Amino acid sequence: MASVAAPEGPARGLAWARQDPALSAAVLALWLLLGLFVVFPLAMLAARVFWDGGHFSVAGIGAILTDRHQVQAFWNSLLLATLVGLLGTFLGFVFAFTVARGGLPRWVVTAIDGAVLLPLISPPFTTAIAFVFSFGPRGLITYELLGIKGFTIYGMGSTLFSEALTYFPIAYLALRPILAAIDSNIEGMAMSLGASRWRVFRTVTMPLCIPGLANSFLLLFAASLADFATPLILAGNAFPVLPTQAFLQITGMFDLRGGAVLSLALLVPAMAVFVLQRYWVSQRFYVTVTGKGAGTAPFESVAPGVRWVLVAACVAVTVVIAYLYALLLYASLVMAFGANHALTLRHYGVIFTEGLKAIKDTLVIAGLSMPLGGLYGVLLGYLVARKAFPGRRTMEVTSMVNYALPGTIVGIAYLIAFNDPPIELAGTALVIIACYVFRYGPTGIRTTIALLQQIDRSLEEASESLGAASGTTFRRITLPLILPAFFAGLGVVFIRSMTAISATIFLVSINWTLITVKILENMTELSLGPAAAFSVLVIAIVFVVIGAISWGLRRMRAPGAEPVTSLLGG
Amino acid sequence: MNVLKRLAVALSLPVLCLAALSSRAADTVNVYTIWPENWARPMFQEFEKATGIKVNFVRFSSGEALARVIAEKGNPRVDVLFGGPVETHSAGIKEGIFESYKPPSFAKLPARFKHPDGQWVAIADDPLVFMTNAKFLQENKLKAPASWNDLLNPAYKNMLQMADARTSGTAVTRIFSIVEVNGRDENKAFEYMKKLRPNVQLYTKSGGGGTLPVGLGQAGGGIFFIVDALDTKAKGYDVVISFPKEGIGTAAEAIALIKGAKNPELGRKLIDWATSPAMQNTFATHKINFLPAHPDVKVEPSLAEVLKDAKIFPIDADYAGANRKRMVERWIAEVLNP
Repeated sequence: MASVAAPEGPARGLAWARQDPALSAAVLALWLLLGLFVVFPLAMLAARVFWDGGHFSVAGIGAILTDRHQVQAFWNSLLLATLVGLLGTFLGFVFAFTVARGGLPRWVVTAIDGAVLLPLISPPFTTAIAFVFSFGPRGLITYELLGIKGFTIYGMGSTLFSEALTYFPIAYLALRPILAAIDSNIEGMAMSLGASRWRVFRTVTMPLCIPGLANSFLLLFAASLADFATPLILAGNAFPVLPTQAFLQITGMFDLRGGAVLSLALLVPAMAVFVLQRYWVSQRFYVTVTGKGAGTAPFESVAPGVRWVLVAACVAVTVVIAYLYALLLYASLVMAFGANHALTLRHYGVIFTEGLKAIKDTLVIAGLSMPLGGLYGVLLGYLVARKAFPGRRTMEVTSMVNYALPGTIVGIAYLIAFNDPPIELAGTALVIIACYVFRYGPTGIRTTIALLQQIDRSLEEASESLGAASGTTFRRITLPLILPAFFAGLGVVFIRSMTAISATIFLVSINWTLITVKILENMTELSLGPAAAFSVLVIAIVFVVIGAISWGLRRMRAPGAEPVTSLLGG
Repeated sequence: MNVLKRLAVALSLPVLCLAALSSRAADTVNVYTIWPENWARPMFQEFEKATGIKVNFVRFSSGEALARVIAEKGNPRVDVLFGGPVETHSAGIKEGIFESYKPPSFAKLPARFKHPDGQWVAIADDPLVFMTNAKFLQENKLKAPASWNDLLNPAYKNMLQMADARTSGTAVTRIFSIVEVNGRDENKAFEYMKKLRPNVQLYTKSGGGGTLPVGLGQAGGGIFFIVDALDTKAKGYDVVISFPKEGIGTAAEAIALIKGAKNPELGRKLIDWATSPAMQNTFATHKINFLPAHPDVKVEPSLAEVLKDAKIFPIDADYAGANRKRMVERWIAEVLNP
């Protein structure tokens, strides 16, 4: 989201290490960790794909990549990701614009914020399942309400709709601060010069938002590209996509190699998006913060009629989201959804007895991943953004690899790499924690880098020129300023540790299991009640923890520091 | 004191501590079960009651379980693979992941319930059935399907759900059933499947994936294993179970010892117990509607009643083993993505 300011002067030889032993120790430790948990698993996976009985081989790889259906799935994935990017960005913009410019009462904004967070923090499958119940051939809405018979839910339309609803909050969170940061005096000036409201929107507001829109499009594109849970339930047979195909190739056709090849094919667009975002969009953010403040009375940039349309659209989407989750809550409270609607707490009884181990394990793992992931993100982000050392760029890119790869491939790579000695971690909690830290920690890295961009280096230089060591400067000057990034990193790692499944389904073991795996398990057993109860529990826990983090964030934010652009947008 | 160094230590310390966190008890046998937890758990509790050996288990679908056992080949994490249609185990044999073992019941089991070398042994039998939604039948004035051709009725257009052959043993058993009732005339069988395709709303990833949609009426009907179908009924969904007059196939559920298991003795004890009447007599108590594989165990009366007039035939293991891959590939090319 932000470019890295190149530190002045190239590092010569090992001089940098002698000058600053603390720095070299930290760099070395990070490289060891990155080597172990990012490079090594991928190398092992590549070895599994390309080494056949001791020699290099590409046999069979061409066949898979040129298969008509896999090629179709590849294009389907790109099409879906593009459409999700467009639709989600549009929705996100409508929400952000309405909240920033609509002059809504505070409680309405709070309600919208809460509803919009729901899809982001819920376990996989939940929206997709609620969708099937509502819009299927016998759905509550399509059949019971509208009386449509034989409605087909499986296909691109509903996958697109469900993914857009799940991921548009990313766009909302990314665009809202940008809109809020546009000084409405600029719009006011344009209007007082005689421009119509539409002309102001078209020629002033929109152009300022373009980088933000491009950024959120790419974020949504990447999220859709890696999503496997939604298409698994909703895409049906006519619309195969690549992440699901890779999963089926591995678990269905017992073809680890083919699945790995398909995932590597997914790597191409995923990396392209990452590079675009990193090197193009990130350099095109306009800053309109003048330091004078926009004044308390916001400029009336929206005509009353338009405002009502916008508010109505937001309320409609919010109601749909609230409805889907109310359905989930209801399913957790009845005996058997669709057959026996007697109210019961039985399913909660089940999850707190048989499911108790999964709940404990998940909390331990998420609880440990959270601080480790937060620290890792802040430390790496700080070093990359502020320090000169050889391989700085390489470190930044390496740290992003596990984040950019689809979960299935990361999970399989970890499974292969850490099963055998010398590094035997399979079956431990550590392998799951490492997966989360290195897969979701990068959000913290990027928030840290973005935040450091906004803090003038002269603050640190002043400290250093007064004789403080780099450690002291970091602790006394930089750390307080980047605390928001630390908390953002904590939040993301915690949320993902509670809700992710695509990578860790391969890493759970007889010793450590996860709630999300239990949810999937309950779905396949037709135990919808416990699955819904688990989901409600996850949402409740995440809400409480995120609430606590936001509270901490508000209390500890250094005065004058910019707000974190988005907690989850990365 | 240096903050960067302290941070680096803070990062790595908990990581190192955690490495020591995994623990394994002594007389515990480790198992991947393909049977859903609500059936596997009572079985393992019975086993612990009978032998004092604790079972540490985690559940995976057949494909996931097999993929894991293969990935863990060099350093197995579990001792036994419990349950799952036998073709999962057949696929595993080629990967060399099982250790042959012939439990005491081996001699008594009919040939189709055991691998000749004991690479796997059956613990149950699971026939396919037609399952339809009662309200759907009533609304469309249909009788429960009693022939494979009944499913071709346009009234079912876009309303059937059944398993995807790429991921599900249920689907493979279904395809071989269709081949069998067409006198092993493959072209005829595939003609039928292609004709059925417009009526299929969704091919599900797991064998039981369509049962809930059928129960809820999202789909009108489908072809499932009897355990899943009867379970749907037991949950309170109004569904009808029927059989085609031409006959329908059945698949054995198997157990196997993992090669290089850390607790092979305990694993063998579990296999001894699971292949004997000791376990299979408790199916009825726990309302698990598998048919026992052991000839000495009687079929539970209400289950026998359901199966009374059904024409059920076993799938020829040799024929299925030899043609499985080709058949699935043909299904993908001609039926799934024509």
